[in-house]
Amino acid sequence: MSAERSFAKEVEQLRLGDGETFRGEGILAVTKALLQSGVSYVGGYQGAPVSHLIDVLVDAEDMMAEMGVHVETCTNEASAAAMLGASVNYPIRGAVTWKSIVGTNVASDGLSNLASPGVIGGALIVVGEDYGEGASVIQERTHAVAMKSSMWLLDPRPDLPAIVDMVEHGFALSEASNTPVFLELRIRACHVQGEFLAKDNVKPAVNARDGLTDPAKFDYAHLPHPPVTYTQEIAKVTERLPKAQDYIVKHGLNEVFEGERADIGIIVQGGLYNVLMRRLAVMGQADAFGNSKVPMLVLNVTHPLVPDQIIEFCKDKKSVLMLEEGNPEFIEHQINSALRKSGVDTQLYGKDVMPPAGEYSAEALQQGLTTFFEAVGIDHPSATPKADLRQAGLDALGAPLPPRPPGFCTGCPERPVYAAIKVLEEEVGKVHISADIGCHSFATFEPFSLGNSILGFGMSLASAAAVAPFQKKRSISIMGDGGFWHNGLTSGVISSLLNQGDSILIIMQNGYTSATGQQFIPSSAKARGDHVPGMTIGETLSALGVSWLRTVYTYGVSNMVDTLRDALTTPHQGLKVIIADGECQLAKQRRVRQERAVSLKKGERVVLPRFDVDADICTGDHACIRLSGCPSLTIAPNPDPLKADPIASITDTCVGCGLCGAVVHADGLCPSFYMTETVMNAGGGERFMSTLRQGVIAMMAGAAHD
Amino acid sequence: MTDAQARPVTLLVAALGGEGGGVLTDWVVAAAHAAGYPVQATSIPGVAQRTGATTYYMEIWPEPTSALNGKRPVFALAPAQGEVDIVAATELLEAGRCIMNGYVTPDRTHLIASTHRTYTTLEKMAPGDGRLDADGLRKAAEALAKKSMLADLGEVASESGAFINAVVLGAIAATGLLPMGKDALEEAIRATGKAVNGNLKGFQAGLDAGKQTAEADAPGILEDLDAIVAEARERLADFQDAAYADQYEARLAPFRDGEPAVAVAVARNLAQRMAYGDIIRVAQTKIRKRPQAAADGGVVHVTQYFRPGLAEICDILPPALAKRWLARAEHDEWFASKQWAMELRTTTIWGFARLSFLAKLKPLRRRTYRYGVEQNAIDAWLDDVRRAAVLDAELGVEAAEMSRLIKGYGKTHARGTRNFKRVRESTLLPALDNGSDTQNAVRESRKAVDAARSDMRADIADA
Repeated sequence: MSAERSFAKEVEQLRLGDGETFRGEGILAVTKALLQSGVSYVGGYQGAPVSHLIDVLVDAEDMMAEMGVHVETCTNEASAAAMLGASVNYPIRGAVTWKSIVGTNVASDGLSNLASPGVIGGALIVVGEDYGEGASVIQERTHAVAMKSSMWLLDPRPDLPAIVDMVEHGFALSEASNTPVFLELRIRACHVQGEFLAKDNVKPAVNARDGLTDPAKFDYAHLPHPPVTYTQEIAKVTERLPKAQDYIVKHGLNEVFEGERADIGIIVQGGLYNVLMRRLAVMGQADAFGNSKVPMLVLNVTHPLVPDQIIEFCKDKKSVLMLEEGNPEFIEHQINSALRKSGVDTQLYGKDVMPPAGEYSAEALQQGLTTFFEAVGIDHPSATPKADLRQAGLDALGAPLPPRPPGFCTGCPERPVYAAIKVLEEEVGKVHISADIGCHSFATFEPFSLGNSILGFGMSLASAAAVAPFQKKRSISIMGDGGFWHNGLTSGVISSLLNQGDSILIIMQNGYTSATGQQFIPSSAKARGDHVPGMTIGETLSALGVSWLRTVYTYGVSNMVDTLRDALTTPHQGLKVIIADGECQLAKQRRVRQERAVSLKKGERVVLPRFDVDADICTGDHACIRLSGCPSLTIAPNPDPLKADPIASITDTCVGCGLCGAVVHADGLCPSFYMTETVMNAGGGERFMSTLRQGVIAMMAGAAHD
Repeated sequence: MTDAQARPVTLLVAALGGEGGGVLTDWVVAAAHAAGYPVQATSIPGVAQRTGATTYYMEIWPEPTSALNGKRPVFALAPAQGEVDIVAATELLEAGRCIMNGYVTPDRTHLIASTHRTYTTLEKMAPGDGRLDADGLRKAAEALAKKSMLADLGEVASESGAFINAVVLGAIAATGLLPMGKDALEEAIRATGKAVNGNLKGFQAGLDAGKQTAEADAPGILEDLDAIVAEARERLADFQDAAYADQYEARLAPFRDGEPAVAVAVARNLAQRMAYGDIIRVAQTKIRKRPQAAADGGVVHVTQYFRPGLAEICDILPPALAKRWLARAEHDEWFASKQWAMELRTTTIWGFARLSFLAKLKPLRRRTYRYGVEQNAIDAWLDDVRRAAVLDAELGVEAAEMSRLIKGYGKTHARGTRNFKRVRESTLLPALDNGSDTQNAVRESRKAVDAARSDMRADIADA
């Protein structure tokens, strides 16, 4: 389903049988584990770090068909969550996935209504815990959602066998306690390369090949609807919780590791196990193979806790350290409460020695462990405080280095839209810009620094609803086609039409959800298995009654400036939509490169365009870069011995998108830019003309040189 | 080696999205597997793959699995400061970032860094020279690493026809710190089945790139007055004629006996101001560069992008007419905003003829409106410099260098000219009039120039 990457090799791994070794990424191990668990259906919405789960299953379409596993590429997380409704009525296992807490938020309605009646078939939600270094979303944890809906939360040790084990247990736990289960994986755990011993895949008993003859019989108890919701709420705590706790203890989902220092201990979230073990090894308290001097309780299930298990671990210990990432410290509070109620006076350390919020990095852990060990009288080789090493680095460099955030790719069709906005802002002044989630949010970085707010995926227009009425100038909302179909159509467009809003909406129509790996969307030219979905944004908007609708080819900057100016100034009241049309350049180049190679081989005419800068004309003011930021438009030493400032320069990576020329026209920039088109396999006529022209021009040039 | 002390070999690769760091990681993992060593790799690709900075982290156990009696090492998922054996950066600034994050330490780290630069947007967008001091980065690398190997691996890659990741893999192998040998790594490259020959060559080149390659010297800016004058004479004779070059020397003459720093600053800036960029100059430059026919007799088309506005047209009109038009523009917005967007195909006879006609207007330049404007401005500026230099040589240099504000074409040029005027009036003129506290004026002027140059899309505020 992803245009960016083929998973042919990974698909082969999904077929591995008993005793064979699977090698690959954590998220692909989860995918294999789903098949080993007899899953009947899988759905999801793309996003780092879990996109590959669905991508690989879609590429494994034949195999899924053989096994009768239904795979759905959902239009958003809410529809993915709702899919789990199948497990409410039928004894079938299902799994869905999405990127992180932001997806969970979108899915919340479905999840709450799933959790209340509960499930009879195992329901697993694989969610990326996009927390800490490299995270691309707001920093919140899944834990709170699991708690408020009474869903269980697995946080396995980031080791492939442990992760695979927890997937299989997750389904069983879900069925044993009639409760949907989250499996959370931190970013690095999703991308960890490791191995595990595979088992045979299990063809689900209920599958798309051997379907059920009858639908489930009517059972009001399966509806999250009063009055049964009251009993469901109580059952969550009185029936399902004890069953879950039994399962957790009976199958040893949480792991206790004994150690020689029996008077102290560490309780840790499974996901933090590896970073903790390394710190203990460096501090002389463990070896490199997981044997620790300090006893440990590893919580591979972080919700629910099993109070008896915790009390058992703590009761003969003077001090225990709880390592729980994030805030508030739900687990620590629960343990404190359990200890108090059972009269165990073990001293519990936690957020008092650890940072109150943020990732538990090696740096943070070493600091916290040092304090804990000092308090309990453990002598450890003193490692250099990590902060000092950072300082030494900074001292050697003299000053912090400029950041290098992600940005628009070379030739990206979204860049010209922001160039146009900047040009227009010079003319009309600043306007309020509602930004959105997607590649286009890179416009908030230099050189554009555009965007006043981001409120969620597809939410830009909705987030301008109460801004626009208080602005003299119309505000501009920008969303991608991915965001449009995900949520923007209803939350934004329809709401604006209903309320007669007077906003401007730019929809970046690049044909894919590009930021997540170019998955297909309803308006993609082609989707899964070459199916043509045939839904278009323009027709959808027209059908809704959007009358001010323009489609502008993004690289035509002047045209975009004119259209935007028109949208800002037209007397037309109501929603004004500009579809900024230009295919994702990554996807396009991948296609064009292939087509070109074929054409060249066939001897057909092929034109290779690229831009360049005339070094003698460039004055080094870099106005062009401030309207572009293209990776292929860079700077180079000035060849002019009288000038110090570097000149603009274009590298060989230029794809000839035309933006450099278009901004010259739109902003009256310097005449340095020129485009070279090299024609391969030119025909005889073209060659003749070219030779003739060159000859005449050479004569004219000779004359011009007087 | 007791178990408690045993530790994995740790490897951090810092790269930019799209450089093949993921493939490099796969090679290392595959080679370790094949050679029987426990290995783990992680990354945080996410959206960083879209041209941003990203890292890949690997740990390899130095003993083969067969020697571990069923024990499995617990690998960390992220690098820890002070605990990285090899840091390999595909770009110099990213090596610096590893240093800044504390991953390069003298007791342990072998640093491999490509010395080529891929500039960050912040460095590129600065109106003047926003580039980071590469020497400082190099020195920091050498100071903090246990061993360092700094070379232009990007260049090595293009010479060997490989991608940079293969070259970096070779350089990593050359440290001798990986438990598996070069054969296992080469086999991993072969097993990928893509661009195998190129990548094997790149790998070998990376292995051999142990010694620091000399950096190609950038064509430096001229410091010697006579050399500048020679360069300037040639340029101005080309721009106009020998008499114009003589005029340059005459203008420079009064400064030659004074402070050398002032003379150099004037010489450099005067040449640039006198060779200003009007349509004639641009046309002259453009027609000189004609594409060579493609090697196979193929066809090349060249398209030039121009968008002269009213101001640029008036530049080359007789003063009387230009003044009349500009006066009209003051109260006629439509007329003022006139611009002519042109895409000229200079590989066609007609396109070339049009440019060549413009270039031929050169002999008439002295009679154009812009010529007069520029000469007056130059004389006024030289007068400022002269007065400033008498008070304080440093202020003289400052007054001369203020010219660097005037850059670019069209709007950019107009804004630069306005900024020049404002800085001059707010910082230089008061000092010239009072003749006191010239050092303060130098500081103020430098600040104002920097402010103007840091945001060339904005007019600087009135002081």
